[in-house]
Amino acid sequence: MTAMTEREAGSGAPAMFDPIAMEVFSNRLLTITEEMGNTLVRASFSPNIKERKDCSVALFDYRGRLISQAAHIPMHLGSLAGGVETLLKEYKLEDIAEGDAFMCNDAYLAGGTHAPDITIVTPIFCDGKLRFFAANIGHHSDVGGSTPGSVSPTARTVFDEGLRIPLVKVVSKGDILKDILNLVAHNSREPMDRIVDLKVQIAANERGKRLMLDLVAQEGLESIERSVEDILGYTERRLRGRIADVGDGSGTFTTWLDDDGLGGDAVPIQATVTIKGDRLTVDFEGSGRQARGGYNMPASAMNASVYYVVKTMLDPDLIANDGMFRAIEIKTPPGTITNPDFPAAVGMRSATAQPVCGAIIGAFSALLPEERLLAASNDAMPAIVVSGKSRRRAGAYVYVETIGGGAGARYNEDGVDGTHVHITNSSNLPAEALENEYPLLVEEYSLVPDSGGPGKYRGGMGIARQIRALDDETFVYASTERTKIAAEGVLGGGDGGLGHIIRNRGQASEREMPSNQPGQPIRAGESMRLETPGAGGFGPPEQRSAEAIARDLVGGKVSAAAVERDYGAAKLAEAQKLLAS
Amino acid sequence: MTYRIGFDVGGTFTDFTMINEQTGAVSFFKVSSTPHDPSVAIEQGLAALIEDYKLDPKSISHLGHGTTVATNLVIERKGARTGVITTKGFRDVLEIGRQTRPHLYNYAIHRPTPLVPRERRLEVTERVLSDGTVLEPLNHAEVEAAARELAEQKVGAVVICFLHSYRRPDHEREAREIVRCILPNAYISISSDVLPEFREFERLSTTVLNAYMGPRMGTYLERLLERVRNLGITAETDTVHSNGGLMSVSTVREVPVRTCVSGPAAGVIGAAEIGRVAGFENLVTFDVGGTSTDVSVIVKGKALFASNRLVADYPVKTPMVDIHVIGAGGGSIAEIDDAGALKVGPRSAGADPGPVAYQRGGEQPTITDANIVLGRLDQKALLDGRLPIDAAAAREVIERKIAKPLGISVEEAAHGILRIAAANMNRAIQSVSTEKGYDVREFALIAFGGAGPLHAGDLARESGIRTIIAPREPGTLCARGILLSDITMDFVRSELSIASPEAWRIACVTLEDMKKQAVAWLDREGVPQEDRELRITIDARFDGQNYEVPVPIERIDAQGLDAFLKTFRARHFQEYGYDIEDRDAEIVNCRIQAVGKIRKRAEAYAPDLSKDPLKGERRVYFGKDLGWIDTNVYARGRLALGAELGGPAIIEEMSSTTIVHPGQKVRLDTEGNLIITLTDKAGAKQ
Repeated sequence: MTAMTEREAGSGAPAMFDPIAMEVFSNRLLTITEEMGNTLVRASFSPNIKERKDCSVALFDYRGRLISQAAHIPMHLGSLAGGVETLLKEYKLEDIAEGDAFMCNDAYLAGGTHAPDITIVTPIFCDGKLRFFAANIGHHSDVGGSTPGSVSPTARTVFDEGLRIPLVKVVSKGDILKDILNLVAHNSREPMDRIVDLKVQIAANERGKRLMLDLVAQEGLESIERSVEDILGYTERRLRGRIADVGDGSGTFTTWLDDDGLGGDAVPIQATVTIKGDRLTVDFEGSGRQARGGYNMPASAMNASVYYVVKTMLDPDLIANDGMFRAIEIKTPPGTITNPDFPAAVGMRSATAQPVCGAIIGAFSALLPEERLLAASNDAMPAIVVSGKSRRRAGAYVYVETIGGGAGARYNEDGVDGTHVHITNSSNLPAEALENEYPLLVEEYSLVPDSGGPGKYRGGMGIARQIRALDDETFVYASTERTKIAAEGVLGGGDGGLGHIIRNRGQASEREMPSNQPGQPIRAGESMRLETPGAGGFGPPEQRSAEAIARDLVGGKVSAAAVERDYGAAKLAEAQKLLAS
Repeated sequence: MTYRIGFDVGGTFTDFTMINEQTGAVSFFKVSSTPHDPSVAIEQGLAALIEDYKLDPKSISHLGHGTTVATNLVIERKGARTGVITTKGFRDVLEIGRQTRPHLYNYAIHRPTPLVPRERRLEVTERVLSDGTVLEPLNHAEVEAAARELAEQKVGAVVICFLHSYRRPDHEREAREIVRCILPNAYISISSDVLPEFREFERLSTTVLNAYMGPRMGTYLERLLERVRNLGITAETDTVHSNGGLMSVSTVREVPVRTCVSGPAAGVIGAAEIGRVAGFENLVTFDVGGTSTDVSVIVKGKALFASNRLVADYPVKTPMVDIHVIGAGGGSIAEIDDAGALKVGPRSAGADPGPVAYQRGGEQPTITDANIVLGRLDQKALLDGRLPIDAAAAREVIERKIAKPLGISVEEAAHGILRIAAANMNRAIQSVSTEKGYDVREFALIAFGGAGPLHAGDLARESGIRTIIAPREPGTLCARGILLSDITMDFVRSELSIASPEAWRIACVTLEDMKKQAVAWLDREGVPQEDRELRITIDARFDGQNYEVPVPIERIDAQGLDAFLKTFRARHFQEYGYDIEDRDAEIVNCRIQAVGKIRKRAEAYAPDLSKDPLKGERRVYFGKDLGWIDTNVYARGRLALGAELGGPAIIEEMSSTTIVHPGQKVRLDTEGNLIITLTDKAGAKQ
């Protein structure tokens, strides 16, 4: 057999950019981060990491540039960079040794997102030289502080929110520093879980390190470094292209938190999105001053929220890496809820991230064509926390759940009813699982009629979840935003329904509760009901088809009274006629 | 002589495999599918087999079939008009699901519209608590009213699903009697029959799919049986269900939802058996079709099982072979995006219009077109000449849409498409296996489907796999797998109690009761005593966890608690890498799998040695470094047992083409499998 090679004339000079090698490399990188993520999720113990997948993994180059990330929730988009940057700032390269790993969580000292999110960073050496970092972040269900779970709207400073970990070495030349691990573990209410999960986080990075070294052995460092430049350049070029396509302009939008966690006035979140050429700036000038409670946003959470919205509005399939970040500038005025001063508490930052995303999406409305707009979603992080004496085992139980609401309507369809939006996407706890585990009864889990904002396309509906205590001495904390200011429609669409917290609904003692109240004791037979906000509608209600109204009417998603109010008597009659025929 | 026939209905072809039970000889056959009524193609194929092999229809002792009818009813939304009756306060469970969104960043992608709209989801007063006690009795008048309402809405199927019915099915059964009186012709599914397992959304969703499929699946089965009878065949027609076992027509009528991954599951069971006989116990299955690729992992000869998956985006919770679908197949489209990157998939030209080279109107370059341009596939025709190929058109489109814009040669572009496809596929198989904690480099790759053996060589290089198995007629392996399947049925009941001696006693009572149910089912299926087996497992977890580990139990033993706990801890350690000494274990689900072993004649293979195996030679492109190489093309059926060849080589058969790359070696084993080994550094990534 004879081998021969053929090279066609004019097949092009070797370009700097090799799209085939880049695409192959991109898949190989994602294979590594996905395997790191699988290792982390599979081996972890705590439900937060294992089931809710509240964790993320990433690879960085030696300059601290993110080259690949497997983000399981948008809240972590780009937020591992803080740990790597801190390491590069505080350690000289020659002081970082092969076999070391580092740990941090603090929002002010180490670019953390909030105390329960602990980051592990592991340097990767090739031929004795530091070349890459493997990093991962996991949400630990408790790191101490005054409240179980280490997150509270009424926390005044980060000192209320549990252990502050600056960047510390946790593995030295291959040996795990047990003293450090114990120190962290015993500042938590569940030391065993912490030790298991931190060791798993360290192991997940080790896995990434080994796979990265295999890749270097196969491809050679030089080829990898070229592909890294290609992939970062490609991502930046692609996003800049999408930005430039939008055209120059600016839009401003304001959303509101009901209060700052400790009552009082509503807090504005204002975003201004400006596009100039291929550059996008998001400025939060005009946002409220920093919260007295735990609603403040550290920089990493602000970045993640902005990246999430840019990806959602401009390019949902864009891969997350440093190239994406280069095209975006974020401005947050100091002393505001979007850029708090030390030692302001930050534990509840995900509840603020939701309206932050809402504000940026709203600001994009002035810039984007109709078919890419999204009416305001529920933009809240509604939550129920119930605790009491466990019937199953010694001690107390704590049940925590975040609940979805309406998603904003789009140019061609109604918003999704009852769903998580923006930076979170965690699953519910089935009523049957909940009732087997806790002395509680789920009385209702349903969509809230008339909560979807009217419009040519209706906003998504909120969720009602009503839980009854079966034992005395049960403590309930329920919270949601948008109990005062509704989700706005877009292009003439109407507002979504407000959130409600109702104690003992249907009983003589029925009472509506404020959005942020401390936990309160309830007795057996008493209940707490949370109705989450609906979303805004798209386009003028008069353009909604009678068929769509009839469908909602027959399914009970809207009432006849609301149709008459929002769409007019004639539309109601038309829809009813359709149903009768 | 007697014969057993397996057939698998796919979107494009219906594949047949027949074994002569006396000689062990296996025959393969394909006809075009007839999507409007799949039983037409089945009848055509069976009639052709009877004629070609001069069979007496009565000598056919068994028929087994893989079908996508149930799944297609859901994909095409052609199931029955269905109503739901549920516990007051919970009518929206079907719509809210788990409250999550399927894509984090793209709001145009969302959960599918529920199969039952809100106006046909009705609530009645009743409530059972988690311990099975009744908080509120079933309100019969409300059930009656709901049934009348559904009758008015002209439903053909009714679902009854109440909270905690896995613990106490009484209310669902009472309601069924009431509904049956009012809707005597409706297909009724109650959740405690279909899936007596806790977690209401998945149970409800599974039951809804079952009822939605039920009536039409029944019609299809009737037509199928009639056609089979008309051919004079007297044997039973069993159906493969999602766990890779067979079940009778009457069982399929009751639980059609269990046939959701029918054919692919049979393929995996077949692959496991072929691998075992060939001496490979740990396998990654790689089934490449026109639009997608199915991947699964076989460990120590056993397919891994999943208890949950999406069928047409709806959750279904029944035991099934854990098959992952990758959106990459022969029809995957290659394109350059707006920032200059070359992407392969997820868009697909599918079977229609298909690749450009098929000349059926396809205009986008696909993976298949790249294979044709590089000479890896025959440039004139495929499928024994039945599928003509326009190689010039494939070359032209790749040149115009990929090579020119990137400034590279056509072969570099086509080869780039295959490299990217291999990297995509590798990423998927790595993810599937590392999620379970396995390293694929320690596994052999068993490649089937029309295009499996075509891509296996590239994939093995990319993934570090050292051995590839290409079984005979890879394109019909799912049909062959049906001949290797046993009759099986899974029974489950949720227990949910801390593993105390008292809880263990109750679990044993439950298992004994389930055993009776399983034996009764085996009786109904007519399985002889000596061919029966019961496989018992208990799903368990540490108290406080929300995920379970299956723990196999040898027999139901009132004294067996300690042994069970020991096995549980060992299994948990194996699965997750740690033990928790001071934590109680919880018994979650009791499971019994009833098995009726089908007696199988070992397959025999005799190649046709009357002709030269070397068919010819063609130029094949193997990458920038090696370039074009004149490569021998062999007819697989003429290769002698034990024959060995060095790469590069191409081995063709009716349903597939196997590529042996330079540096790889291939051997035909005694069963007729091609075993490819990656021997040297030529296996390294390019």
